[in-house]
Parts: sequence; C-alpha cells; structure tokens
Amino acid sequence: MSVTISVPDDDLVPPEIVSTIFYSATVSDNLALLVAETVGTEQRLTWCNEGAVQMLGYGLADVRTVALDHLFPSLGGGELKLLLRRERATRMTLPVRTASGAVIESLVTTTPVPGGRMWTIRLLATSNEHERALRATADAHERRFSALTERSPVPTLLSEQGMRLAHVNDAFCTLVGLRAEQLLGTGWINTIHEDDLDGVIEQVAAALDGEEVETQARLVRDDGAVRTTVIRFSHLFTPGVGAGFVGTIEDITDRLAFEAKLAHQANHDPLTGLPNRTLLAQYVAERFRPGAKGLGCLFLDIDNFKVVNDSLGHTAGDELLVEVASRLRATVRPGDLVARFGGDEFVVVCEKVDEDAVVALAGRVSEALARPMRLGGVDIRPYASVGVTVQTDEHAAADELIRDCDIAMYQAKAGGKGRITVLDQQARAEARDKLRLVAELRDAIERREITLTYQPIFSAAEGHPVAVEALARWTHAERGVISPATFVPLAEESGLIAGLGLLVLDETCRQLAEWDHLLGVLAPPRANVNVSALQLDDNLPGHVAAALERHGLSPSRISVEITESALMKDPTSARDILQQLRDLGIELAIDDFGTGYSSLAYLRHLPVDCLKVDRSFVAEMAGGHSEIASAVIALAATLNLCTVAEGVETLDQAEELTRLGATYLQGFCLAEPMTGGHAAAWFAAHVEESR
Amino acid sequence: MTVVPMPDWAEVNDAPVFDIEHVLASIDTMAAQRPVAAQIVSVANSEDTSARALSRILASDVALASRVMKLANSAYFGMRGRVTSLQFAVTVVGFTTVKTMATVALTNLDDESRLPENFWDVTTSLALAASTLAPRFGERPQDSLCLGLLAQMGAALLHHNDPDGYEEITSEQPTYRGRRAAETRRYGINSLRLTAVALEQWGFPATLTLPLKEIDDYQTLDGALLRSAFEVAARLTTDDYEEVPIHRLSCGKLVEADVVPVMDQVRADAGELRHAMLGEATGPEGPDDWIA
Repeated sequence: MSVTISVPDDDLVPPEIVSTIFYSATVSDNLALLVAETVGTEQRLTWCNEGAVQMLGYGLADVRTVALDHLFPSLGGGELKLLLRRERATRMTLPVRTASGAVIESLVTTTPVPGGRMWTIRLLATSNEHERALRATADAHERRFSALTERSPVPTLLSEQGMRLAHVNDAFCTLVGLRAEQLLGTGWINTIHEDDLDGVIEQVAAALDGEEVETQARLVRDDGAVRTTVIRFSHLFTPGVGAGFVGTIEDITDRLAFEAKLAHQANHDPLTGLPNRTLLAQYVAERFRPGAKGLGCLFLDIDNFKVVNDSLGHTAGDELLVEVASRLRATVRPGDLVARFGGDEFVVVCEKVDEDAVVALAGRVSEALARPMRLGGVDIRPYASVGVTVQTDEHAAADELIRDCDIAMYQAKAGGKGRITVLDQQARAEARDKLRLVAELRDAIERREITLTYQPIFSAAEGHPVAVEALARWTHAERGVISPATFVPLAEESGLIAGLGLLVLDETCRQLAEWDHLLGVLAPPRANVNVSALQLDDNLPGHVAAALERHGLSPSRISVEITESALMKDPTSARDILQQLRDLGIELAIDDFGTGYSSLAYLRHLPVDCLKVDRSFVAEMAGGHSEIASAVIALAATLNLCTVAEGVETLDQAEELTRLGATYLQGFCLAEPMTGGHAAAWFAAHVEESR
Repeated sequence: MTVVPMPDWAEVNDAPVFDIEHVLASIDTMAAQRPVAAQIVSVANSEDTSARALSRILASDVALASRVMKLANSAYFGMRGRVTSLQFAVTVVGFTTVKTMATVALTNLDDESRLPENFWDVTTSLALAASTLAPRFGERPQDSLCLGLLAQMGAALLHHNDPDGYEEITSEQPTYRGRRAAETRRYGINSLRLTAVALEQWGFPATLTLPLKEIDDYQTLDGALLRSAFEVAARLTTDDYEEVPIHRLSCGKLVEADVVPVMDQVRADAGELRHAMLGEATGPEGPDDWIA
C-alpha cells in the first residue's frame, strides 16, 4: 500500500523490490488477498493470491467469474458500496462463501487504489482453531463458575455495572422469596431495608472502586419478614467493560436472636423477667454523674419472706416474688427501672427525682404490695421494708448509691417491718466506718497484727496453773485496742472469721511449742482456743490437726471452746464435728454455758469434756446469789464433766466456787491475760513456786 | 463545546441519486468536529482502557461529562446520587456506555430538531427493553442497552440526508420491518445495516453489530433480542399498533406474559434515560440534584 504514496522520483522503490514484495504476497498462504475492479457499472474480482485460493477453494481463473455478491452473500443490493468505498479503507465482519458453499465468518478489510476503481481485499477468518479452543476453555470456566454459584448455599450476587445485577443464585432467591428475574438489574435494591440502603450503596461504591468491604443490612422478604444479613462485596473488573462486584450474603438473623437471648439471660432474672443485679449496676453506672442530682433509688425487702417459703413451700415463694415483681412494674413511673437484687430484694431506680418524689413513690409501692393476695390457699399481705436514697454530693460512685439504699432498708427493717426509711447521715457514716474497719481488719489478719494474750486457768483443788485460754487482741494504729466483742462479730459478718480462727489456732500452737522449747516441763500443759459458730464446719478438724502437726504438738495440748449457741444452730452437724475433734484426741469445752437454751438431754449426747460457767453467774455470787453457778457445777458433776468458772474477781468467789465443786478457776484476781513472753516468765516463776 | 453545528450535507441532498457512501463519509467529518467524543470512541473499547484514562479524556467535554454523570446517578444504575466523581461515573456506567454516549454526541443524535419524529422516545424504549430482556437471551444488559441506544443511528442519517423521502417511508410503513424493506428499496441498504457499518468503522465489537445485521433473519437467535425489543418499543410508542406475537419474534424465548413487566419497567425508566442522554434538566427532584 505504501508504494502508492506519492514520493519524489529519486526515492522510488526499485522495481526489483516491488516485484519481490508482490511475489511474496502472491505466494503467501497465510494472507488471503483479492483485487476487485470496477468494470462498467459493476465490480468484479480480477486477481487473488495463493492464500485466497487456499481459503476460498477457487483457482485463479475461476475467481474472475465469481460475482462479489456471491462471495459476500450478506451484502445484498447496494450494500457492496459500503465495502468498496472510493476514498476510504473499510473494515467489516462478514460471512464469506467458499467454492464448496461453506461460509467462513471473516474480517474483511478493503483499501481503495487512487482513482477509486480498484480495491485490494484482505480476508481474515475470525475464528481459527486456536481461538475456538480458547473460547471453549473460557466457556467451560464460565460454566463451572456459574454451576458453583448457582448450587452454592451461600446467597451470591454478581453485578454487571454499578448496583445492577447480572446474576443472583438460587440461595439468594430463596433468602428473599423472589424469582431471579424480579431481582436482576436494580430489582434487588427493593429487598434492602430502606434504612440500610444508603449504607449498602456506600459499600458498593467502595467495592466498585476496588476495595473489599462488608456491611450489615436488613433484607425484607417478599412475605414481609425481615432478615438481618452481613453482605461482603468484592471488586470485579472486566477489561474493556468496567467494574462490578461479587456480593455474598450471610444471614445472621438467627445468630443475633440467639446472642440477644443469651445477653438477656445474662442480665435478667429468669423467674420474674426483671433485670438482675448485673444490669442494675450497669444501668446506674450509665446514669451516674458525680456531683449531679436527680438519681434516686428504692431498696425493697419483703418482710417475712422466709416464713412464706418455709410454711407454704418454695413454689408459693416464687409465686409471691413474681406477683411482687408485677406489682412493682405496674406501680413505678414509665422509664423507672425495676430490678431483682437477689432473693426477696428488689431495687427501683428513678431519674429526675427529689427525695420527696422518691418517698412518695416508696409509699405507692408499699401500698400496692400490701394489697392482699391469695397464695397456696392463704390470704397474705406482702409488706416490704423500703430504704430510700437520692444522689447527693457525697456519692462518689454509682455503687455507693445502691449500697446506701441497702443500708436504709436495713434501718427500716431494724425499726420494725413494713416501714420506709430515708437514709440518715448518721447511719451512713456508721456504715461507712464499719466498712473501713472491715478493710482494716482484713489487713490486720493478713499481716498477723492480731495478737494473742494468754490467761492462766487454775486447778481449784490444788491452786496451781493447769492451762491458759488464748484471747485475741487487736491494737488498732489509730483507734487503740479494739475489743474482741467488736471485731469478732465484724469478722463473722464480713466472712473474715475463717482467717481469724486459723490465725488464732496457729499462733496458739506456735506459742505452745515455743514455751515447750523455753520452759520444758514448766510450760503450760494446755491451751484453750475459742472457735466461732461459723468455723464449725467439716474443715475444722483438719485445720486443728494440721496446726498441731505443723508445730509438733500432741492433741492433748489443745482444748477447743465452742459457745453453747453455736452448737444449737445445727446440733446434728455440730455433734459430728465435735466427735471428729474428739477422735483426734482434743478436749472440748462448752463456753458461756447456761446463757443459751440447750436441751439438757441433747447435752448428754455431746462428746464434751468440760463446761465453762459463764462470768455472769459468777458475778451474781457477789450479791449472794450462787444458785445458778451451783446448779451448773452440780449438773456437770452429774454428767461426769469438769467445770471452769470464768470471771473470778475475788478470792472469796474463788473459795466459794471451790467449795461448790468447780474443777478449774479463771479470773483477774488469780492472773490477768498476758503476752506469750510474759506468760513464759510467769509460768517459770509460778510453777516453780507452787512446787 | 455544547453547540456543534451539523456538517454541511447540502451536497448530498442536492445529488439526484442518493449516494450512501457520501453519508458514511459525512460521519468522518462529524468526528473531526467533536474531537473529544471521537477520541473516546476510539479509546474506549481497547482492552487496557481504565476508568481513570477515560474520565480524563471525558472531562474535556463538559456537556458529555455531565450526561455521563447524570446517567450514572439515574435510577437505572441504582446509585442514588452517590456518584460524585467522573471517574466513578465511568466505572458505574461502563466503558461501552461511555463510548455509546460519545457516539451519540458525535453523530448529533442529541439534536432532536434534526431527527425523525419520536426518535428518542423510541430509542430509550428500545434500549431499556433490550437491556431488560437481555438476560433471557444470554446477553449482557449493558451491551444491549448500548445496542438499543445506537440502533436507530442509521435511520437518523437517512432521515437527515433525505427528509422528505424518509418521511414518506415512515408514514407509509407503520412497522419497523416494513420500513426496513422500504429503506432497502430506496437506498439500497436498511437503516440498521447502515448503523452496523458505521459502528464497525468505529471499532464497536461484532457482538454489537451482528444483531443489527441479522434482525430480519427469523431463523437465528442473533437478531431475536433486538427484534423483541423493537416490538416492545413499538407497543409503547406507536398508536394503534398491531402487535406481532412475541413468541415468533423471540424464537420462542418469550411469551406474552413476559412482556407486561418489561413494558412497566421501560415506562418507568424511559424518561430519566432520555434526560441523561440528551442532557436535559429534569426538574427539582431530578438526578441533577444528586451531582455534587
């Protein structure tokens, strides 16, 4: 073609080169070339090369007889003009008819010769073997891919352009309850919940831009049901076409429902359906702002709930709790929180209230609760003790509000049941003081700052010391000496008694071992250790045996003192534990005997060795009343038990008690409690002296 | 850039014999007058074209760029005004659509005064019908939309070069099939084949031109989609139209019940597509507001 371009004469391509190129074009078998010429009013083929001969099956001579509209059967009428244009090369994809009649789809390119009466025509079959194979492979890929997505249980979308879908699979159709043709194009957009559509489009925009994204969206099914899903979008690019996306959908409705159920269970009481303590704490914490006002709460405890439970059974008790919950919910203002704190305790939290409003609410609640209800065939009126608190500047944290409310409730209960009490500052201060003391007691136990003193016990008949009673002492850095009458009950209330008991036991044993080491045969033969009612469990014998073993002592060196009231709490279990201690070889004494209500018949079956005559009965002797002391001593003698009279203040009392038959004596007039070191010196001197 | 005069075709009109080659030659002249559109037409179908490259070219033809933006934000693509950059608009509508819109601009199809009556009503219906029906025929809806948008280009060329003669054909022939036969008699070629020739010249793929060539071959599926789309467009835009059974036109791919929802869909989207293609304003609630 380039040879036809006009060039200066001296640059003309030499004829031999022209003929070389023409020759190679002539004999080429991979290039099909023809020449057409206008003859008269029509165009005819005048020449073809070897490639055209092979492709079309015509000999060179035959080609001249072939009409152009026969060669290009699809170009009827005047359309041949479109192919053979006078001033422009053209390109068309056309069917070309060969000598055998077969049609080959070909790309036909024509180039006019200047003058517009001749054209070269190049034919290129559009589909050769290689292309067909490639297309077959691509088709197979396509089929595999569509089989995979069609059968996949994962709902899948395939976008062609923007939000427009080209494919949806069966799983997606099933998910939304529509047919594919209703979803293709933009139809699927209607299944997205209106409020989530913006989010979905935003993510699609990101995916079209090349990102991998996901979003949570609700899909509205054809039947109106709503499914919550996570849609994941991946970018899809087709060269020469543009960007689309693949979307996969995970239906998380059931999972969310299950999670919500679990969350509800974790935060609600299964019996009443009310929020539980966890949710209450969370709720108050969310609304509590230190220094703010307006948050108020009621703490309710149903009076005599235990009576209902014990007399009418737990089912009736549960029924009562459910009824109380329902009455509470019906009485509080909308927006107030009603929670079950635990057991028979309920808490109501209100916002934007002052003290008067909360007290008024407490009144309404009490009134509503006190309406009669029938429970197990009995009419009862469920009264409640109600504590009231409103937030003040002194509340530094949310839990203090609830705690104060709890204190107020205890005040209400202590003042007689069925009352409403607003927390007063005095009670609050006391309660806080107590809390602080508990914390300090815990530290004191951990650091072994609780010390022991030892008070000698004398044989009444012979007058020499036979034992000591270990007594716990707490000397507080700021408050000075704190009485066991204060800190032992505190330890019992706050769960510290086990630690305190172990400390006393271990320290006593250690001291006994030390005395043995220092004094040899002069050491106190036995030490009495007090055990609280709360320590009286299956672990006690093991703890005692361990302490003895730790310090290399024989069991006879220890006597365990237990109060009469402690034994009476659960007599059967107490008896078993005492028996275990006894089996270890440990002596047992009943402390404060006569102050409780022991059944004498029961006492007979207890494996004890000794009764301690309470100091109050000994004190009465000063006023000439020795009847009870005398009776206790006589009773012990009858049961073959020995006696210790404690609180002996005068020598007269000592004499009188000896006369009455008391086995042992203990008291200030005989010997005061002393430290371990002093006791060692005292024993060294005293035993020596009494010999 | 927005107002482009029609090329001077007086020479063609004066010729006693209608010369189809002159009509085609005039297309080249038009391309020279809309260089940006022409560049897009030549670049858009290459395999390594990117949205970035295409949008960069497109940006220099403000009128065309704004139409692409408008189309990307139209209900048809479902993006609800999220398309705010030209590059993203090109991504959303696809390269073939951008090329189609450039072709429309190139051939002055956006100047209604020079077009046969009802041209864009028919064209938008045809395009949307083809796009909606495409999956039934295993075709990409996007490509079919473009096919529909460009199919009548040949008719526009014939009408422009022979207004009276073409007017006569349209008034005498109520059906598109009859019109094509009359076109062949008068011009030696029918309007769809003329479109195909032009599109081939601009490098549109054979998949796009084949249906134009095969529309009257009722034995093959190649022309079935376009044939069916013409039927839907005719039912929607021609008064007292005598329906042809869709079953026959579609080689059995469609039954009459399929046509009803397609017609509803086409009716719903046609207005907006027309506005986007012609760059018309669409009123206060229109997609214009979506373009930031």
